[in-house]
Amino acid sequence: MSGKVYGMKCNSCGTVSYPKHAVCPDCRNERFEEVAIGGEGKVLTYTDVYALAIEYETRYLRLAIVELDDGIRVTGQLLDDEPKLGMRVKTILGTVRQSGETAIQGLQFVSV
Amino acid sequence: MKPVYIAGAGMTQFGRSEWTLMQLASVASLAALHHANLGDIRVDGVVVANMGAARVNRQTALGSALVDQLALYPATAESVENGPASGASAVKIGVQAIASGMADVVLVTGVERMRVVNGLEGTDFVASLSHPEAEYIYGVTLPALAGMFARLFMDKFGVERKHLAMVAIKNHENAAKNPYAHIQQTVTMEGILTLPEAAVNNPPIAEPLHMFDCCPVSDGAASLVLVSEDVAAKLGGPKVRVAGIGQATDTHAVHEREDPTDLKSVRIAAKTAFDRAGLKPQDVDVVELHDAFTILEIAESEASGFFPRGEGHKALERGETRLDGALPINPSGGLKAKGHPVGATGVAQLVELVWQLRGECDARQVKDAKVAYACNFGGFGNNVVASVLQREA
Ligand SMILES: [Zn+2]
Repeated sequence: MSGKVYGMKCNSCGTVSYPKHAVCPDCRNERFEEVAIGGEGKVLTYTDVYALAIEYETRYLRLAIVELDDGIRVTGQLLDDEPKLGMRVKTILGTVRQSGETAIQGLQFVSV
Repeated sequence: MKPVYIAGAGMTQFGRSEWTLMQLASVASLAALHHANLGDIRVDGVVVANMGAARVNRQTALGSALVDQLALYPATAESVENGPASGASAVKIGVQAIASGMADVVLVTGVERMRVVNGLEGTDFVASLSHPEAEYIYGVTLPALAGMFARLFMDKFGVERKHLAMVAIKNHENAAKNPYAHIQQTVTMEGILTLPEAAVNNPPIAEPLHMFDCCPVSDGAASLVLVSEDVAAKLGGPKVRVAGIGQATDTHAVHEREDPTDLKSVRIAAKTAFDRAGLKPQDVDVVELHDAFTILEIAESEASGFFPRGEGHKALERGETRLDGALPINPSGGLKAKGHPVGATGVAQLVELVWQLRGECDARQVKDAKVAYACNFGGFGNNVVASVLQREA
């Protein structure tokens, strides 16, 4: 599946940031390489949101912030019927939004 | 910096309005100008705060448009779009103009007309302030960010849904005494939480937040007349000084914050405002907080320095933040019940505080209020403006 999610790894201090910034938030260096973001982690928090933006036909979306084992945090869609704080999940890539003809790919979380 | 005073404050009724954007802005502006009673003193500049007009009303350059409505040419004109913090940002810009000596009289008007679009469009236009690649594409909306914040905050500090309901009950009670409020109806713990019907009356919006934890979508405008010390002296009457304004930013994506339950930008903005004012949170008599979601009133009451971390809901439970408590919070009804026309909100908070400091609030008047504080919370905490006002003489 295309559309991997990338963060930035600072060429100077090695800090990985997600999302990307033009400047490293830790050392202000301006050079970095892209690194794919994903893996296993735990649910830091989640919600079922019924107040949706345009382009969603569903009744609600289950969104979460996940803390990956490498310390990076990500926001994405939680695909689990029994969400709990602290539950173990892994990231997968899937369609997170349909914008006209374009299926936007992003991070989803499934339990492990 | 030269001292800056607020000589007049006015607003429109908040709610659903048939008026155009400029009618709303003009009515609030004229109310503030009449309140200030400027006589033949000229307005040097106009600053208009708004978030969504370019998208939902198809109108831009609102500052120039308002100068034209009020026939204030050749006054200077600016428009400020700074998300939900647009209102207090615009006030800050007006204050800077007078403090620097570039102007003597500045009219600041916040306006939003967002009920003209359907709910989805309205939610989406506000959601467009979230991080485009790391949040927005996933369906993140402001309620979603508030829901995720609430779950974490409640788990960490033992806040329960009944505490959130207490914020709503208090603010609805206050709004019932405010003729400008969008919702002038009281609610009860039974009606929104404990009775079986509550599940129907108060459906989930972004778990654990329900409908009565969220502010309504409102149209409205609010306006202030800022003046220099010289002009304030000429006008006479009650003197309300802008004692200090602080502002701070934080990461765009909420997940990047070291502790997402810590409203660091509120802490920094509040401390800056109090330092500049030479005052402390303990000096404050009346407060307006940005309770777009009930949980935010609790969290901001702590981050602003009024209560220790994790203690805000306890002070609320003890009744300290009620109109008759030691530190009344949101006597206007807050965003929760007064309403939240996004770009107008930061100005409207200060309108209420000016009226409170002048003793003009009738049934919801906080007795002998001398020092007031407002927190205008932009983004989901990535841009916050805190203001301290003080009554002189
Ligand atoms: Zn670095």
